[in-house]
Amino acid sequence: MHIPDGFLDLTTSAITYAAFLVYGGYAFKKMRANLTPERTSLVSVLAAAIFAAQMLNWPLPGGTSLHFVGGALAGIMVGPWLGFLAIFLVLLVQCLVFHDGGITALGANVLNMAIIDVLVSYLVYRTLVRTFGGKGPVRVAAAFVSGWSGIVLAGAACGLEIGYSPSFPYGFAVTLPVMSGWHAALGIIEGLITALTILYLTEKAPQLISPEVGEKE
Amino acid sequence: MIVSKKALIAILILVFISPIFGVILADMVGFHEPLDVAAEALDLQDWSEDINWTPFFDYTVPGLPAEAGYIIAGTIGIAVILAIGLIINRLVRRS
Repeated sequence: MHIPDGFLDLTTSAITYAAFLVYGGYAFKKMRANLTPERTSLVSVLAAAIFAAQMLNWPLPGGTSLHFVGGALAGIMVGPWLGFLAIFLVLLVQCLVFHDGGITALGANVLNMAIIDVLVSYLVYRTLVRTFGGKGPVRVAAAFVSGWSGIVLAGAACGLEIGYSPSFPYGFAVTLPVMSGWHAALGIIEGLITALTILYLTEKAPQLISPEVGEKE
Repeated sequence: MIVSKKALIAILILVFISPIFGVILADMVGFHEPLDVAAEALDLQDWSEDINWTPFFDYTVPGLPAEAGYIIAGTIGIAVILAIGLIINRLVRRS
């Protein structure tokens, strides 16, 4: 889902950078309230783990691949604001150190993976857990749905951005269904990995799951 | 900054096995990033490749075979993320 340079025109690039900066500023204000040394350590380790997990590209016959994105896991574990910070750190290092994702597309990549994916996943997980309770099977199912829905909406946003940009020769009619459909399939793997990780954490280290999720007792 | 030894070992294991997926299997099936495949098919110009700013382009390390370079690149990435985390941690402690 990392958009390279050349896909987005100046307008799309500027709009997505603006969205990233405005949201980032708001997220920074929100995260300052509960930023402790322990939480920043957790976010750093989470970002490092997601970076490592994203290096495990699973090649698919036909010349493409899938890899875990981790937005849902970050949102569920540390909430939407610190989750944004974790995925932003990953994307920043990927772009600046490894040239993975374009510099002109960094705003769009942050918007898709650090904002939309994290926020949607967090809201879906929180809604499901509050509605159906915080028992183990509910948490696992909620984590699966949250991982799937976050990645599908992030993929759809990516389709909208490249479809809107005149630099890309196909419009929304092509890019939106292709990106959404493809990510709806890949999202099953994202959902499964998220669900299994949350299952493990709820049993072994429940203190690592964000208290902001606020379960219904 | 407190980094659990267990977590760090798990992360390094992921990096150590990553060339199996990111290099070896990728070469076997002719993998490229989906959007890079689209760019190539549509003849879109990725101009940033012409003004590359990093020696670790695409998770490679100059002079090293792809597999070893992938592991070193992953380790560098993790070190940079943890270093940024350490700076944030110090700023939080100070404030």
